Amino acid sequence: MATGILNVGISGLSAAQMGFQTTSHNIANASTDGYSRQSIVQTTNTPLSFGSGFLGQGTNVQTVQRVYSQFLSNQVLSAQTTASEMSSYLEQISQIDNMVGDSSAGLTPALASFFKGVQEAAANPSSISSRQSMLSSAQSLVSQFNALDERLTSIRSGLNTQISSEVTTINAYAAKIADINNNIIAANATGSGQPPNDLLDQRDQIVAELNKVIRVQTVTQSDGSYSVFIGNGQPLVVGTQSSKLLATPSTDNPEQMTIAMQSSSNGGSIILPDSLISGGTLGGLVSFRSQTLDAVQNGIGRIALTLAKNVNDQHALGMDLDGKLGGKVFNLTNTVGAPLANTNNLGNGAPSFQISNYAQLSTSDYRLSYTGSSYTLTRLSDNTVTDVGNGPTLTTVDGLTINTSVGTPTANDSWLIQPTRNAAKNISMALTDARSVALAAPIKTSKALTNTGSGSVDAGVMVSTTTPATAASAFATQGILTPPVLIKFDNPATTYTVYDNSNPSSPTALEGPITFTAGSDVFPTPSGLDYGYRIKISGTPASGDQFTVDYNSNGISDNRNAVLLGALQTSNTMESTASAPNTGTASYQGAYSQLVSFVGSKTNEVTVIGDAQTKLVEQATATVQSLSGVNMDEEAANLLRYQQAYQASSKIISIAGKLFDDILALHN
Amino acid sequence: MRISTSMIYNSGVSTINDKTSAMLHTQQQVSSGRRVVTPSDDPVAAARALDVSQAQSVNAQQGTNLDNTKSSLGLEESQLSGVNDVLTRVRELIVQAGNSNLSANDRRSIATELRSNYDQLQGLANSSDGNGNYLFSGYMGSTIPFGGTVDTLNQAPGNEVSYFGDSGQRTLQVSATRQIAISDPGNSVFQQIPNGNGHFVTSYASYNSGGGVVNAGSVADPAAWNSSVPQSVSAVFSVDTSVIPSKTYYDLVDTQSGSPTQGTSLLTGQVYTLPLDATSAPAPATYPGQLRLYSDGQPISLKSVAGDTSTFNMGSNITITGAPAQGDSFSTAPSTSQSVFKTIATVINVLEKGNTGTSAGVAALSNDIGFALTNIDQATDNILTVRAAVGSRLNEVDALSNINQDLSLQYSSTLSTLQDLDYAKTITDLTREQTDLQAAQKSFVSTSQLSLFTYIQ
Repeated sequence: MATGILNVGISGLSAAQMGFQTTSHNIANASTDGYSRQSIVQTTNTPLSFGSGFLGQGTNVQTVQRVYSQFLSNQVLSAQTTASEMSSYLEQISQIDNMVGDSSAGLTPALASFFKGVQEAAANPSSISSRQSMLSSAQSLVSQFNALDERLTSIRSGLNTQISSEVTTINAYAAKIADINNNIIAANATGSGQPPNDLLDQRDQIVAELNKVIRVQTVTQSDGSYSVFIGNGQPLVVGTQSSKLLATPSTDNPEQMTIAMQSSSNGGSIILPDSLISGGTLGGLVSFRSQTLDAVQNGIGRIALTLAKNVNDQHALGMDLDGKLGGKVFNLTNTVGAPLANTNNLGNGAPSFQISNYAQLSTSDYRLSYTGSSYTLTRLSDNTVTDVGNGPTLTTVDGLTINTSVGTPTANDSWLIQPTRNAAKNISMALTDARSVALAAPIKTSKALTNTGSGSVDAGVMVSTTTPATAASAFATQGILTPPVLIKFDNPATTYTVYDNSNPSSPTALEGPITFTAGSDVFPTPSGLDYGYRIKISGTPASGDQFTVDYNSNGISDNRNAVLLGALQTSNTMESTASAPNTGTASYQGAYSQLVSFVGSKTNEVTVIGDAQTKLVEQATATVQSLSGVNMDEEAANLLRYQQAYQASSKIISIAGKLFDDILALHN
Repeated sequence: MRISTSMIYNSGVSTINDKTSAMLHTQQQVSSGRRVVTPSDDPVAAARALDVSQAQSVNAQQGTNLDNTKSSLGLEESQLSGVNDVLTRVRELIVQAGNSNLSANDRRSIATELRSNYDQLQGLANSSDGNGNYLFSGYMGSTIPFGGTVDTLNQAPGNEVSYFGDSGQRTLQVSATRQIAISDPGNSVFQQIPNGNGHFVTSYASYNSGGGVVNAGSVADPAAWNSSVPQSVSAVFSVDTSVIPSKTYYDLVDTQSGSPTQGTSLLTGQVYTLPLDATSAPAPATYPGQLRLYSDGQPISLKSVAGDTSTFNMGSNITITGAPAQGDSFSTAPSTSQSVFKTIATVINVLEKGNTGTSAGVAALSNDIGFALTNIDQATDNILTVRAAVGSRLNEVDALSNINQDLSLQYSSTLSTLQDLDYAKTITDLTREQTDLQAAQKSFVSTSQLSLFTYIQ
């Protein structure tokens, strides 16, 4: 009997000890990440049957269990990976958000200052100092473009570094999971069915850390190991084997890091498209790059490109202080030319592209692919695919005209076209001499003193300095018009004749009589005579009245071209619609504001989603913690409980001993 | 609900973080004075603010241009006002020179003053702005616009002043859609001035021996004048001495429609050899009743009446006073441009030559003085027209300045609405957030201090 009591006491004592051990373990790991509280599962020993009934045989600890719910943990994982993605996205986009909207660092003040310079020059066209200040403001605009691009490029190269380091982290975690899988399998084999709780916690914790870097799915195998998958089922860890991810230059664009998976079997690697990389810090970096960084850098490049083109075109129609036609204001190199060939291309096709309509340019990049019989062009921003024919001149899409006459492509070859990417980087000043700023128009009109009618001629507008294109143009020889033009009204003055006025004493008739309509353009004439400018005669000229068009020699106070250059500030030269491809809907500032609004909205969106996900993570974590977390008060109570149980069991043993002593005393 | 101890810490820390970052954002707003610190705070407002600030800068530039316009036009206006003063003085002098009691010497001294007026006028026409650009040379700001002296103009009747500028009119952008001219080319101010009455100019023949003086004539019916063929006629006089008192007749000869050497009488159909000379006189006896009878000071209507061989209507008339002699002739020709310099130089020439004292000489002087007055009046009219245009541009500039200032205010207030901070509200928010943060900190400290272990002895 007494041995029975002793045994019961000992069983209680050892159960209380295990309870102590577990409680202490809980207290010690209260702040260990990923730790799930453990508890002992105590049951009664099998009772012995006596005649008078079953007598309890004490207690035993069946197992130590961790308090854990796979379902709740998965909720945390799913919220956490999006929260991490948003947080890394936000970290990146905030840099741009702060930069573009800054009232001193963005493009807006530089644009305004450039056009202010133009207007100042228009107010004082003959002043060298106002011309110089226009050049300086143009230079500062160029510097601003360069600086913005430099910042974006450094963000881009920072991304490459971060992607590489995240990939290293993923590989380390994957290796660790495989390692723990190994230990768990071993523990399961030797542990006679008892769960290796702390190993499981460690593994769950590492999966959670990995999940912060990239979204993972886990599947528990029958041997207790986890299989971890990324993307749409690419296996990262299977049992005790882990695959390796690599950060490798993209085949599309070697300047850009992409992620490849190295197969564990043959060592080859497969590129994972960016679309498969989702969730986690890495997902945030990749989607920031494709959704925001590309669009912003292209958007700023597009403004640089269009502005440079429009200003150069208008400037070329002007005349400088020395009577020469205007040259380029901005240099813009490498924006038109060769697409990047995919490094996997087998053929030697070398297409080239040029921008045929600047108003239509989008901020997207494009992929040109050869199907074997024809080409398709994919706009990467929305993946719109257009069949552009077989060339050599392909169908124009978004103002891009591609020529494929060089080389022979092989099916599935592809090329990356970035029409606007490098424009903000490459723009530079071509004009350095203040005298060479073309503020005047190269033509001037006048009416003869002898005119008796009320006809008047307007100042004229330049259209081209290379017209007629076939023969030598009217502006081919510096300083003169070829030919200067005389318009003389016939008798009656309902018609006029256009003369070559090279020899004013005997002008040569070029065309006439031409019916006079007041206020309509003289050129091109009905038979197509066109010298690259438009003039209008209005009023009622009398018979014999004469109007002349000459080169604007010494016209240093003329500001007509400057006024037209200034007007570019507010004219809508960008973002034309498909129905009216030549009519823009946005000015440079308008396009920039859209960009700022886009960045602002995206930042806002990311912040809001990030906040929501963070809240979700907090809630889900709270639920998990509520179940699995260690509560010190509870543990304190448990300590007391096990203390009392231990004391009570001790007492049982002591009583059993006493009983035994009493029996022994009977013999004495 | 079961609470784990680490939850108390985690949620305490996260609450304090949230409160701190909210307070930091409010603090950034207060210190920058802007509601929208980064575009993400309010993307729409941020983008609009950029658009508005561009509009504001364009508007400010147009304000500067308006000021520039105002100063350029003001300068032009003051020069033109100077020109007007000179012309007024010139007119006075010419009127004074017309006084028949003056001696040749008196007229020469008037001519001397006119020479200085000429120089003054040329100085005004060649004036430059603060940057050294000539005001009246069109686009050619560095080219002095007018050359020539009284003497070069008087070397030959056809000599005109040299204009080295062009017809360009400088403009500035003063509103989104409006460019205002800030200069007028010299040729339209000083040179493109119609002589005579603006439609035609009258003249007398150099061989005239009588005392006839012709006025500038006038056009009563502009439509008839515009469609009239011919527009050049000569009145050729013939004195019939066979009757007592003698009667003076005149014929009207078309000097335009026929060949350059032949002119046909509009009244009789007689053919005259051109150019007319002192011997070209109609014979009243040959065309009884067809030549018109001259009456001193009565307007001569340049329009056919019944019985004339040609039907013509020039819609105008001229008046001849005094007694024309046999063979004298007076002509009209369509107006052409004559510079104000040429007009003054011509009258100087007339005054310096003096007159012969004969009736023909006196009449020639009267005629020349009359022509000069007519032309000076035309020049003054032209200056006034240009000044009126400058004045109306200045008015427009004033109106646009007002709009410009209104817009500037408007843009500022829009920008302010979009970006600026409601300080009262934000500082209240800041204070509230401070209190919140303090509460969170305090409650965290007191919650985290609770532990059962404290009580286990």
